[in-house]
Amino acid sequence: MVELRLPRNSTVGKGQFFPAPAGAKNVRTFKIYRWTPDDDKNPVMDAYEVDLDAIGPMVLDALIHIKNDIDPTLTFRRSCREGICGSCAMNIDGENTLACLKPIRNMEGDIIINPLPHMPIVKDLVSNLDGAYAQLRVIDPWIQADSPPPPDGERRQSIEERAKLDGMWECILCFCCTTSCPSYWWNGDRYLGPATLLAAYRWIADSRDEHTGDRLDSLEDTFKLYACRTIMNCTQTCPKGLNPAKAIGRIKELQVERKL
Amino acid sequence: MNAPVSQHRDVMRSQLGRARGLGSGHSGTGHWIAERVSAATLLPLSGWFVVQMFRLGGDDYEEVAKWGGRPLNATMLTALVISSFYHAEVGLQVIVDDYVHGKAHVPAKFAVRFGTGILGVLGVVAVLKLALGRSAPKA
Repeated sequence: MVELRLPRNSTVGKGQFFPAPAGAKNVRTFKIYRWTPDDDKNPVMDAYEVDLDAIGPMVLDALIHIKNDIDPTLTFRRSCREGICGSCAMNIDGENTLACLKPIRNMEGDIIINPLPHMPIVKDLVSNLDGAYAQLRVIDPWIQADSPPPPDGERRQSIEERAKLDGMWECILCFCCTTSCPSYWWNGDRYLGPATLLAAYRWIADSRDEHTGDRLDSLEDTFKLYACRTIMNCTQTCPKGLNPAKAIGRIKELQVERKL
Repeated sequence: MNAPVSQHRDVMRSQLGRARGLGSGHSGTGHWIAERVSAATLLPLSGWFVVQMFRLGGDDYEEVAKWGGRPLNATMLTALVISSFYHAEVGLQVIVDDYVHGKAHVPAKFAVRFGTGILGVLGVVAVLKLALGRSAPKA
């Protein structure tokens, strides 16, 4: 049945407090989820006071500052620091987004940072996305064509055909959308989730792909596709401004079109 | 650091195997269409029903029974009852899918179908009794 409370060993407690250095004028508090598999303790929220005058503008700058200068045990993923790798996806003030694209100045009060919701935690802000990656693999996210490519090399597309892929190829697979979806929280073992369905439609819409019917066949399932309840959290949270809900809607339209 | 608390794992199947699971059920589109069609059908039927209830407001039992006995009214009422309980069946299944997991899932889905089905039949029988179970109205 549905779980209305966190399990006892997931209840979040109060953590340590790290005050700002003396003389800091522009101070903000970052409350950050901490949990380690190395001991038997429950997760806690540690509070770090950060001097904003000493760091860059983004939440990721604050996290790097905390790890470098305040508490080296803080664990998080990051790589490109410019919104193209998707590593620093986390929940900041209740919204899944990329820490590197989230300006601190747009937020008020204490900044609360949690890992992506409803996924297993590896440590601190690092969530385990193995299941989501495997689901992406299930939809065969690569071109499938039986016609051989032309001898001079590439398969060609008209400008109009290429335009259909806009709004989909930009997805960086940070899984902010998938982990924001209540339907994925309840049925993540069977529902593929918005990121994977956006990728699926990216190949369904690709004029060079010849396995559209097979792709629609494998998606036609009460859960894999139809567990989407058009809640739209995916589109609201996408840090790249994409619209997975629209892609899912298009897949449903095609399913109906070939039935009626 | 201390050794991890427990080394036991009860699931060691690969992530890909779990993600593929039992494969596609090859259904769901019909259910999705049924949700929308039954909702669209309910719009005019419910509107008609509300208007009729206001018109009948204050009438006694005999008057209402006479009204329900007319073929057009009985047809509309039957259609309303069937659409309502069909829509309820389709909609409640979604709630079961969302919130009832594990071994209770399949029995809960059958219970929803059986419950809404029986209630729908009860409603249809009630309308038929009104329409056929008495001498035809004179007016």
